[in-house]
Amino acid sequence: MKKIKTVSDLKQIKETLTQNKRKGKTLITICGGTGCHASGCDKVISAFKRELKKKNLGNTVDVKVTGCHGFCEKGPIVVIHPKGIFYKQVKTQDVKDIISDTICSGKIIDRLLYIDPLSGKKITYEKDVPFYKGQERIVFADNGVLDPYKIEDYITIGGYTAAAKALTSMTPEKIIDEIKKSGLRGRGGAGFPTGLKWESCRNAKKTPKYIICNADEGDPGAYMDRSLIEGNPFSVLEGMLIGAYAIGANHGVIYVRDEYPIAVQTMKNAISQAQQYGLLGINILNSSFDFDITIVRGAGAFVCGEETALIASVEGKKGEPRQRPPFPTQKGLWGKPTNINNVETWANIPHIINKGSQWYAHIGTEKSKGTKIFSLVGKINNTGLVEVPMGITLKEMIYGIGGGIPEGKSFKAVQTGGPSGGCIPKELLETPIDYEKLKEAGSIMGSGGMVVMDEDTCMVDVARYFLEFLQDESCGKCLSCREGTKRMAEIITDITKGQGKDGDIELLQELATTVKDTSMCGLGQTAANPVLSTIAYFRDEYETHIMDRKCPAGVCRDLYISPCQNACPAGMNAPGYISLIGEGRFTEALALALDTNPFPSVCGRICDHQCMLKCRRNQMDEPIAIRSMKRFIGDYVENDITYPKAQTPKHTMPFKVAIIGAGPAGLSCAYFLSRLGYQTTVFEKLPVAGGMMAVAIPEYRLPKNILQREIDNIKKLGVDIRLNTQVGKDITFSQLWSQGYQAFFVAVGMYGDRNLGIPGENLENVIQAVDLLTDINLDKPVTSPAGKKVVVIGGGNSAVDAARTMLRMGAKEVTILYRRTRREMPAYKEEVEAAEHEGVIIKFLIAPEKIFGEKGKVKSIECIKMQPGEFDNEGRQKPVPVPDSNFFVDADILIPAIGEFSDVSGLFTGLDVEINRDGTIHCDKHGRTSIPGIFSGGDVASGPATVINAIAAGEHAAVTIDQYLTKDRNRTYIWREHKKIDTFFDPEAEPVQYKMVRQKALPPNERKGNFDEVEIGYTKNLAMKEAKRCLRCDLEIELQEKIREEKPVEAS
Amino acid sequence: MIEMTIDGIPVQVEEGSTVLDAARFYGIEIPTLCDHDGLSSYGACRLCVVEIGKGENAKLVSSCTYPAETGLNIRTNSQRVVSARKMLVELLVAMCPSSKTVQDLASAMEVKQVRFKVDKTNDCILCGLCVRMCEEQMMAKAIGFVNRGKNRKITTPFDKKSDVCRTCGGCLYICPACELRCQGPAADTDLCNACVNVQPVCLKEEDNKMCFLETCGWCYEELGRKNNKKEIIKK
Repeated sequence: MKKIKTVSDLKQIKETLTQNKRKGKTLITICGGTGCHASGCDKVISAFKRELKKKNLGNTVDVKVTGCHGFCEKGPIVVIHPKGIFYKQVKTQDVKDIISDTICSGKIIDRLLYIDPLSGKKITYEKDVPFYKGQERIVFADNGVLDPYKIEDYITIGGYTAAAKALTSMTPEKIIDEIKKSGLRGRGGAGFPTGLKWESCRNAKKTPKYIICNADEGDPGAYMDRSLIEGNPFSVLEGMLIGAYAIGANHGVIYVRDEYPIAVQTMKNAISQAQQYGLLGINILNSSFDFDITIVRGAGAFVCGEETALIASVEGKKGEPRQRPPFPTQKGLWGKPTNINNVETWANIPHIINKGSQWYAHIGTEKSKGTKIFSLVGKINNTGLVEVPMGITLKEMIYGIGGGIPEGKSFKAVQTGGPSGGCIPKELLETPIDYEKLKEAGSIMGSGGMVVMDEDTCMVDVARYFLEFLQDESCGKCLSCREGTKRMAEIITDITKGQGKDGDIELLQELATTVKDTSMCGLGQTAANPVLSTIAYFRDEYETHIMDRKCPAGVCRDLYISPCQNACPAGMNAPGYISLIGEGRFTEALALALDTNPFPSVCGRICDHQCMLKCRRNQMDEPIAIRSMKRFIGDYVENDITYPKAQTPKHTMPFKVAIIGAGPAGLSCAYFLSRLGYQTTVFEKLPVAGGMMAVAIPEYRLPKNILQREIDNIKKLGVDIRLNTQVGKDITFSQLWSQGYQAFFVAVGMYGDRNLGIPGENLENVIQAVDLLTDINLDKPVTSPAGKKVVVIGGGNSAVDAARTMLRMGAKEVTILYRRTRREMPAYKEEVEAAEHEGVIIKFLIAPEKIFGEKGKVKSIECIKMQPGEFDNEGRQKPVPVPDSNFFVDADILIPAIGEFSDVSGLFTGLDVEINRDGTIHCDKHGRTSIPGIFSGGDVASGPATVINAIAAGEHAAVTIDQYLTKDRNRTYIWREHKKIDTFFDPEAEPVQYKMVRQKALPPNERKGNFDEVEIGYTKNLAMKEAKRCLRCDLEIELQEKIREEKPVEAS
Repeated sequence: MIEMTIDGIPVQVEEGSTVLDAARFYGIEIPTLCDHDGLSSYGACRLCVVEIGKGENAKLVSSCTYPAETGLNIRTNSQRVVSARKMLVELLVAMCPSSKTVQDLASAMEVKQVRFKVDKTNDCILCGLCVRMCEEQMMAKAIGFVNRGKNRKITTPFDKKSDVCRTCGGCLYICPACELRCQGPAADTDLCNACVNVQPVCLKEEDNKMCFLETCGWCYEELGRKNNKKEIIKK
């Protein structure tokens, strides 16, 4: 190997290498990064080599194993150049096809192509993959084309030109000036300006000087430094060479974790190759500058990423920080001036020297320049390494590049900066990623870890996890960090176990602030971030854990009995009644269901079954059909009802409670209050009770007699329902007060329809969906749609209900226009499917602009096509109109169904109840409004929600009202106690896999012209079969306790 | 000479001295636990924190390691410093309630509650004085720290009897935690706080006794008072 002694030598070698490289030759690059290694790229690589040999293609096709491409989610990744064909998740058995089809005959293999989850389209070329499209790759650019074991590869793509430029044509001062102007800041996390650090080290008087590359990357979930060294170690070496020259150091150290064997290996190889070429050693490029590098392997202590601890470790001492000042640039390794930079910082240097500080400074924000590599991990579709310009928003990062949250779940928080970073909530997703803005949000840039969490994450548990990590990794030298992290972890662990106390949150905050203020090094100073940020943004979760002993996400195992019961807003004991059904004890099952929910048959039909989403059986095959099961017991038992126990049998409370609105919230509140012995009266303005359940839900989904049966049951408990009585008009609050009512529960629901806000809305035959459904349910005359064209606008349940109703009434054609995509439709998926089954046409990405009429009646609608635009904080793409895409849709009847709003004007005459800006009543989570004695719940307080949420709100209000009237906050409630069910269950039995038993439905042709219920309930045998599928998570804790009790016996 | 201000007082100190040196020279009291004349400063106990800097850049630093700089504006008793120190002492009591030094510090700073679970088995505060004593003054290096985080402890290499230890007792001599707190009848409470609550009665009655070896008598007093109360209630 010829030594590169001068710059012209370098040029010459580059030219020879480039000439040797045959142009147009097919090149297969296979990702050999850590992620792809884990998904089995080793076997794929050898399969390629074998196959090429077999086909004798060795001379025309090159195979190159490169460093990490970044898209680890889809590994092993194979890219075929020069076209850039992108194959994901390649297996050994695919290799043969790739060689024979793609390489030999130029065919694209469809099954290996990447499918964009947003558009559903297949993508052929690497450059078109949305994951890469949103990125700007500078440091990471060459990772996918470079063989990390060949310095020649690096020289061919222009490697070492920056070093040549710096060493031969620039003075050290000029280099430092250039770096200062570029605005580069330390990529290790703290973001100290690199140029200033170099200058300070250069100006230090003592000699010799040292430079260190910090590759002790230890954050859980972060691996960008690792991938950079594994993919392109030469850029780090070149950066260090330039830095050493600028600072005046002749010796460099790379401190790398020993847990990174591939990184150690590639770096060792890179150093020895550089030495062989004379790019390290004596008189480099004839500049009379000497520089050499040694590798020091760290023993895997997180704290050794801190610079003073790192230096101690290099010196052979215990890896512990020491108090700064003096800073390492004054007194570092062996007491000499030492400059420490992170891997990524060093890798940025050659690019700045080559392209100039001006080029670099134009990327990024005012104070944070250039690009940053992040490892995007956690609950995100596109896991991998991402290099983006500073200043990109978290939203773009997560929904754009990251592709959103898997399984359509919702985003909860993102943690930046590793274990000592903070958790940033949904509301702050607009935050641009730069050092200052992340700090303002209570987090840090850190080295670039980005952990995405979804709705199933418990934030208290997250804080606990990171504190456990930190208390193990704290070196223990200083009191505040050692004891502080230990005590914080102790308190939080207690909270997650249901042993939290009043005042714990405040103590945590106080302690965290002290730890942050007084700790010696960066580890302790940032250790409080997970605690402080989760308390700041998710305080209610902490409070729920401490006060209600509940974990809303269902993570903290000691705080819930079963995931389904935890997910149910009303806390229904699903495993309980399901196991009773399994043994044929239907009356008991219904009694248990009625204990927490007065409307089991209603919920068995129209509930949004949040329980089924959390069912553990999901991980095995399909969830238990909890909803259908609930429907079955209600229908089967029908009239043989055992009423749940009253709290105070035969004892009445001396208070009267008025409930305004006979919807699910109001009736539930009355139900629970009467079980407590209160005398309750429900006032309802409509001629029927049931609220939206009675008027807005069509009969084919919820037959009227079913609802009436459950309302009658409530009445039997002594609840007085007064129909056709509007509070505020027929009777006022003060009149009620004088009649002896001492507490009021306002649950009037949402009953104003939102207007479209476009011209032509006043035309005849423009009918609001809820008005239409109400009229039909109340048997009032409506415009007959027979033989007419009906257009429905909206994507919610009312839109689908209206459309299906119109079809049943004989409409010729029913079309739903929705301005977003199917994915974002809020209506229940099964309802949408059933509607399409029946013949409803649903058109997406269309919005109405103007309604045209003829003789005062609707004739046609001018619409405009929409396209998905920017993401909102929920991850939904805002629909943006496509210019000049207007078109007309004919319609005889137009039904807007874009939601309801709350209108409580006239209700509280003379009372100053606080109303929110959106028209809902302002109240706390217990249902208390701004006036004592007046409580609220259901849609009118929370905004549009589901029936089960309203039932839960009614129950909460009943408890709050009881505590308010008795002035006793420590009362217990029988329906809130967990009831053990004495059904048989064999915990040893292995569950058998078989799928959910589905309810049958009426065939679509039998549904026309009538309102018969579409879904047909279970038979007794089917229900008992389905019930046996339950895994009985509720027994987990009971069984564990049993085992614990039995253990000492075994031991003796 | 370096000119700076401590608690608003302009001071002058020699180059090379720390903020703690300067404060002590001017008679300004800063509590410490891991600092000792004749041993290198270590910065582990964090009790000596003082506030420097202005506005947003104000921060707490350990005065035992911070070099005196011209123009520094040092606050040794600001709200932030005091509340941080109190919390640190609370952590210390929870960690090592048997130490008189720690108990006295708590009393002196008016720490009146311990909100953490108290570890009654521990008798080391990991200040590292003994380790430095052994290394720097006795030139033995017989003991050192092992493990990290909550498992950190001081011991000889591999927990075996050390060959280099001359059993000089320097480590025992310098240990601030070895001196036991008073073992009176009410010693099961976590915080004594007698010094802030009462005049030690033992001094009045038995002035030839060394107070810290015997109980100060407050617990007896307290006990008597409680008994009296009970008796009164009984009557």
